[in-house]
This record gives sequence, structure tokens and C-alpha cells, in this order.
Amino acid sequence: MLFRKLIRTAGRYRAQFISMIIMTALGIGIFVGFNMEWYTIERDISSFFERTGFSDQRIISAAGFSYEDVRKVKSIGGVENAARYISVNTSAKDGDTVALTVTEDIAVSGFIVTSGEEYDEKSADGIWLSDKYADANGIKTGDALSLGYKSVTVSGVVRGLIKSGEYLICIPDQTQLMPDYSTFGYAYISPVMLKSVIGAEFYTQINVITELETKQFRERVDRAFGKTMLTVSKDDTVSYSEAMGESEEGKTMGSILPVLFLAISVLTMVTTMHRLTASEKTQIGTLKALGFKDGTITAHYTSYAALIGVAGTALGVALGVWLGWFIMNPNGSMGTYIDMDDWSLHTPPFVWAVLVLINAFLVLIGFLSVRKMLRGTAADALRPYTPKKVRRLLIERLPLWDRLGFGAKWNLRDNFRHKARSAMTLFGTVGCTLLLVASFGMKDTMDAFLDTFYNNAMNYTYRINVDAEKASRDDVAALAEKYEADTCSGQSIQIDGQTFALEIYGISHDTQRFVGDDGGYVALSDTGAYVSRRVARDTGAGAGDTLTFSRYGESGEYTVKIEGILRSMTESVVMTEKYADSVGIGYTADMLMTKKAEVEDDPLILNTQSKKSIIDSFDTFLDVMYKMLILLVAAASALGVVVLYNLGVMSYTERYREMATLKVLGFRNRRIGGLLISQNMWMTLIGVIIGIPAGVGVLRYLLAALASEYELNLSLGPVTFIAAAALTFTVSLIVGLMISRKNKKIDMVEALKTPE
Amino acid sequence: MNNIVEFRNVSRIYKVGDHEQKALDRVDLTLQSGRMIVILGPSGAGKSTLLNLLGGLDSPTSGTITVDGQDISKFSGDELARYRASKVGFVFQSYNLIPTLTVRENVALVSEISKDHLDPDKMLSDVGLSDHGRKFPSELSGGEQQRVSIARALAKNPQILLCDEPTGALDSETGVMVLKVLLGMARQYGKTIIIVTHNQNIARIADTVVRVKNGRIKSAEDQTPVPVDEVDW
Repeated sequence: MLFRKLIRTAGRYRAQFISMIIMTALGIGIFVGFNMEWYTIERDISSFFERTGFSDQRIISAAGFSYEDVRKVKSIGGVENAARYISVNTSAKDGDTVALTVTEDIAVSGFIVTSGEEYDEKSADGIWLSDKYADANGIKTGDALSLGYKSVTVSGVVRGLIKSGEYLICIPDQTQLMPDYSTFGYAYISPVMLKSVIGAEFYTQINVITELETKQFRERVDRAFGKTMLTVSKDDTVSYSEAMGESEEGKTMGSILPVLFLAISVLTMVTTMHRLTASEKTQIGTLKALGFKDGTITAHYTSYAALIGVAGTALGVALGVWLGWFIMNPNGSMGTYIDMDDWSLHTPPFVWAVLVLINAFLVLIGFLSVRKMLRGTAADALRPYTPKKVRRLLIERLPLWDRLGFGAKWNLRDNFRHKARSAMTLFGTVGCTLLLVASFGMKDTMDAFLDTFYNNAMNYTYRINVDAEKASRDDVAALAEKYEADTCSGQSIQIDGQTFALEIYGISHDTQRFVGDDGGYVALSDTGAYVSRRVARDTGAGAGDTLTFSRYGESGEYTVKIEGILRSMTESVVMTEKYADSVGIGYTADMLMTKKAEVEDDPLILNTQSKKSIIDSFDTFLDVMYKMLILLVAAASALGVVVLYNLGVMSYTERYREMATLKVLGFRNRRIGGLLISQNMWMTLIGVIIGIPAGVGVLRYLLAALASEYELNLSLGPVTFIAAAALTFTVSLIVGLMISRKNKKIDMVEALKTPE
Repeated sequence: MNNIVEFRNVSRIYKVGDHEQKALDRVDLTLQSGRMIVILGPSGAGKSTLLNLLGGLDSPTSGTITVDGQDISKFSGDELARYRASKVGFVFQSYNLIPTLTVRENVALVSEISKDHLDPDKMLSDVGLSDHGRKFPSELSGGEQQRVSIARALAKNPQILLCDEPTGALDSETGVMVLKVLLGMARQYGKTIIIVTHNQNIARIADTVVRVKNGRIKSAEDQTPVPVDEVDW
């Protein structure tokens, strides 16, 4: 019988029940979704890395490694496996770039075949091509493919389509944000084919699978080779570091947002359960008078909370799994960024424990609420709940108070009388504004970032990659003059065991600008070097300090003075050619940047990259970002609507009698509705005023979490603030109108019949 | 004295599920202005329905109700609100003061809706509560709260004061005091008072007693009222 009562009461308080379920579901959904995201990334990627033999360490030498060298590495204690490896960017048709890769042992830095023939390490003409590149360019197994590198052409037949851990995030360099398979891909050939094409065995890397710590590994490698070797750990590879960055982002999103939603859900539970048990107090008393035990009554009312918890959790888990799938599926937002074969979703075990705790907490709230109403004898319980007495407010002492209209006084006293409800309303509007400011602000910041780095800092039409091995300094100078180009030399350096880039620029045509820490453009000085923000952070070096680094493959060290800090797409040390000369760093420019509209074929030019092709690759990036933005804005609006509607209904119920009195006195429906809406609007105003700085704070926190991936500067346009405020007010107004429409249904006769 | 209220063939039928309940059944009633009228009847007789229809809280299922020459039975929601704001004042058994407004604010509330309202402070002093203006209703006794409610009802300067069991929640002594205030004020401001009650004793103070039973008027008779002080229950 009590179960029937449970269902009917739930029907009676459906607005509260539904909104609590939605709120709990949203909180749990986001919690489950984002935690699934990062955990799935870690699980699936580590499985993918394991299956494709993603290497933990790379030993690099431009001079190449012998078979003897591999044996040396393999005999190092703690090394599980090692293989010689090479990857060079080759040019395919239409100016596409394909990273041609060879590994001597497919178990190290290898791949898995998604279609076509299995890998054959003896194949003389087989090419195993990235399936995504093949798909984007209409290439099928059995098709012939030619790849050019300098004067050599590698021709073969596509035997199989593959995915490789080494190319999990398939971008040519860090200036490109997202993979663009229509222009950049990768392919593997067998060591046999490599030898037949170039007539010799030539490998510039030894890739190593090992559990050793980087420091330990380096020491052992240096000891084995008897000299300092250049090694790069997986932490410095794009695929690993960016994937872990995504995982970190997921962890951040999985912690801030759910806390906000779940806190609101729990607080709503407190106010709603109190309201429900208070208005059912006489029924609780009746049950007690009828002879029901306290325990039975407690269990009955506690089951309301349990019902909400279970329904909210079920919906939330469904939402979370959908969210996890939405982000983590081969065609979803993460699918455009990382390329792997297995996208099965995983949930971290602690999530289930947290869900149990949340439910236990919700039930506890229900339990405590009903316990309060059950106190004393059956006669005590039968007496209706008396709301708190009204107290004079502090602001009533101000002279301003007397000038306030009746509506303002009525609403203000109501707010202070029902503090929990008012606090919740504020919480809801603050949360709504906060999410909107953070979402729109993220867009502003990313837009400004792209604008600063790409539209404005890249002031060239083409980037020309020069064959640095063939071209002399004079050749490069001649090319630069021909194309009125600026020059850049890129090298790898190590600072305290960490790998960074060294970029040496010769700028005289303003083709590349440098972004200062504060956002403005900086003209490079010839008296010192600049470090990008991440280098400054990782090395602890700042302007005025000195920085010592070694170049890969060299034992000598260079000490430079730091002139300033830059924001950069790469983790780099930047200097002018003049300063490099003064410090004695040798270089040959391997990249030119020109404003010319066309670049002619030249044996010294490896390939060119247009600014347009780089900018085009943002489209996917922006698309992903906008999708997330829409999701967040929808969540923010849902939060606002659900919280405000629930509290609005609660306020309406609590003030029903007062509104009936106003009606009897002759107040019109519209006037009473106006009073309710104005209370909502004032609360919203306060919510917006708090929500805007809170949103900026959350955005700062997010940017800090993203700092290892992007050197972002907070950027917020006035439109963001206006839109966030306007949307919050709109949500509040719509809810206000929905609630105030109920006024018409107030039954004056019924409402005023019963004594208070 | 002229007729201020006329009920012509008024019925009010409530539908409860499939069942129809006749709260008022073809009622004809004429009441004169400036009088103290008591509508007497047992509970469920239809007296409150009569008062609610007269007060514009409810509309009849059929028939016409004319108040001060206006047919209010066909009024829209807004017209009824305007009617309630200007023509009638209500006093309830359960006072129905706004708990979050002070005593003075509760009375002054009517200035928001009535152009022709009286001075709230004067009304409070008339009911003897000048010193309690800054208190909240919950800080007053039942009798005091009812006096605030009378002050508020009269502050609108209505033609008719409608009282639904105004002493129902009060002990005899306090009840008599409230009735005194009610009568005194009505006389002072020249208002028609209609009191609905099941209490026979209160009927003794009326100029006119209307007896209601089973949704119909049993009788409506003028009488010579006794002074309030002689009433007891």
C-alpha cells in the first residue's frame, strides 16, 4: 500500500522529482562521460601501443646505426626489444607528404593491418599504407604508389592498409593542430625493399621497448656506446604527449563540471526532501498515529530519495556512456584527432564507487529529512509543519528600505526566509552563467590563439623545405634572395635531459612574426635568445637568466642569455642568426618563408607547404571545438532551466497561500506573475554578477590544464559576457513565465479555507 | 436604503468526478446597503459559496448576481480582480495576512491596487494597533491579527465587507472584541457588512439574518439587533 502512495506522491511532486532526476543524471552523466573519456584513451591507447610495439625510447644519429649498434642496445639490461628504424618525409602525388617508415623488427614501432595482406618483411615491392590516408585519397590495396625522396623514387604496390602507434596523431609537425589525411599520411616498407632502393642499409634511429626510466636508460646507452647519444623518450613524441594531454583534459573536465552539477543535485535534494516531508508532515503523523513504526515510515520516505537516486543514476550512466561514445568513437571528435583500431569504452572502477556514494548520500538526505518530521509523539507529528518565523532583516534599518515597493519587500523577505531555496537559485544561475562564460570564453581564446599564431604571425604564403644535406649556405642564401624569403633552421636540443627545438631565424622580410608573452608581437633582438613559455616553465628559466643546452649528437654545450619569453606553437628556443653566430652555434637554414605566390621546382627544394593548407587543417579542429561548445551550452541551459524550474515550483507552492491572498485583495494574475518574475530576475542578476568572474576563473583553470599543449592567453570579448548574461536571463525569464502562468490556476477559495 | 446585492436564480454546481454537487440551488436574495447582515447555516449549507460568489472569488454556474448595479456573474478574471480591489473587502477566519510583510505593510498593501484607498495608519489606529505597525503577523495574537485583517479590508474603502467566520478561530472574549471593532468600523465608515457564520449567537447582533440550508435560502428576516456586549458563546 505504501508503495502505491510512493508512486502517487512522486506523481504529485513530479516537477521536483523530474528536475532532481535530470540534475542527478546530468551530473552523473558528465562525471561518467569524461572519466570514461580519459580512461578509455589511456586503456585503448596503451593496448594499441602494446600491439603495435610503440617504442619507449629512440636513439638518434644522422650518421646511421649499424647492426652491431642494435646488438649493443639489445644487450643493455632492462631493454626488452630494439630495432633499427627510419622515417623520412617523402612526396607523393599532388604535393602530399607521406612519412615513409621502415622498422627492422615489426614488433618494434610496427603496425597492425586493418585490411589487405599481412606484413611481409621480405617483400620487395610491398607498401603498407595508412588506411586513413588511403581512404582520404581514394587509394586501395593493389594500387601502385610512388614516393619521392630527393633523387630517389620508391615505387611499389599497396599490399595492406594499416594503423601504427607511432602515427597515433598523424601530423607533420607541431605547428599543425589536427591531422589532415588528405595531405599527410604514412607508409611502411620492408627492410629488404629499403635496401634495394637505396642500395644500402641505412637507419637513423634505434627504437627501443623498455621499462627503464629515461635517465637510467640514457646513462646505460651512453655507457654502451662510450659516448653521449641523442635519445628521445616517448614523452617527447607528439603521439604520446598529445594523447596524454587529451587524457589530462578529460580528467580536468571529469572533475570540475560534475562537481558543479552534483553539488547542485545534492543541494536540490536537501531543499526538495525537506519541502516534501514538511508538506507531508500531517500524513507522516497520520501514519504514525495509525500505528506504523517509525522505521517503516522512515523507510517509506527515504525510498523517495532512493527512487530519485536510482532513476538519476540509470539515466546518468546512459548519458555518460553516450557522452563517452560521442567523444571516443572512430568518427567522433577524438576520432578526427587520434587514429587507432580499438575504440571500446572503459570506465575507471572508482566511478562505480563514487556512484554508490552519491546514492548513499542522497538516501541519507532523505533519511535525515523524514527523521526531523517524525520527532516526538504521534500528536507532535500530526501538527502541520510550521515554517520559520519571519525576522527583521538588517537592511530594513537602512533608510532606503522604506522607499522600496511592496513587491521588493515581499520578495526580499521571502528570499531571506527561504535561504536554502534562494541559495540554490543563485547556485543555478551562477552555474549557468559560469558554464556559458567558460564555453564562449574558450572559443574566444581559441579564436584569438589561431588569429595570433596563424592569420597574423604566419605572414608568408609558402614554407619551403630545403634539402639541408645538399644545399650549402650559399645555395640557401641564393634561394632566399630569389624568393625574397626569410630563413629558419630547426634543430633538436636537450636541456637537463628534456628535448626541445632550437629555431634560428634570419628575418628581413617580415614573413614570420613572434608572439610575446603578453600577446603583442616581438621583434627578435640580436643580443639574446628567446624561450617559449613551456620551455620557460619546464626549465625554470626566465628573461635575464642564462640557459645551457646541447645539440643532439654533440657533446659540446652552449650557454645563451635569455632575452625574453615567447608564446609559440612549439616548445622551442628561438634566436636570430646573428646571435647564433655570436654564440658559435653552427646552422644551415632548412626552411624558407616567402610571400611569393608560386614556388618553382628545384632540386634543392624538398617540398613546400602553403599557409592555406595549414589553416585548412583547423576546420576539423574548430568543428570539434564547436561541437563541445554546443554540448556545454546545452548543459548550461539545461542546468539553468531545471534548477530554476524546480525552485520556481517550490517557491510557488510555498507562497501559494500568499498569492491567493493577493488575488482576493484584487491583485491581477499578471501583477502577481510580475512579482515572481522580478524576484527571479533579481536573483539572476546577482547570479550573473557572480557567475561572470567565476566563469573567467574556471576558464583560467582550464587554460592552466591545457598549458602543456597550447600556450594560450585568456581572451574574452564583450560579446561573450553579453551573450552569457543574455542567455542566463532568457533562461530565467522563460522559466519565470512558465511558473507565473500557473497563477491563473490558484484556487482562492481552497487556498484560504484551511488555517495556516 | 437601496438594494446593493441581488441574487437572481443563482446556482453553483461543483463537479466531483461524475458526481454533481449543488452548493447553491436557484437562490434569489436581495440585500440592502448599510446594514449588518448575518448569513447563518450549518456547515455545508452553501453559505460560504454564497459569500465567495458575492466576493468575486467564484462565478455562478447559472443565474445573475448584481452588486451596486453591476452584473458580476459574467465578469472576466481581470474584471473580477478589479471588482475585488474596489468593491469588496474580505475578512477570513484564518486572517490570511502576508507573513513576510509587517502589520503596517499588510494594510498599506491595498494602496498598490486601490486608487480610492484610506490612510493605512489611520486604519491601524482605528483598530487600536498603532503601536504594532512594525511587527510581523506572527508576533501578534489571533485577535490582533484579525483586527489587522479588518483594517486591511476596510483600507480599500470597499462598499461591502465580507466576513467568513471572522471569530471562528478566536475565544469568546476575543471574538466579541473583534466583532465590536468590526461593527464600530463599519458604522464609522458607512459600510455594508455581511458575516457568514454557523454561530447562532452572532446572528443576534445583525440587522438582517439570512438562513441557508442545503443550498437554498430558508428565510431572510430583518430584526432588532442586540448590542455586541450582550453576546456570548
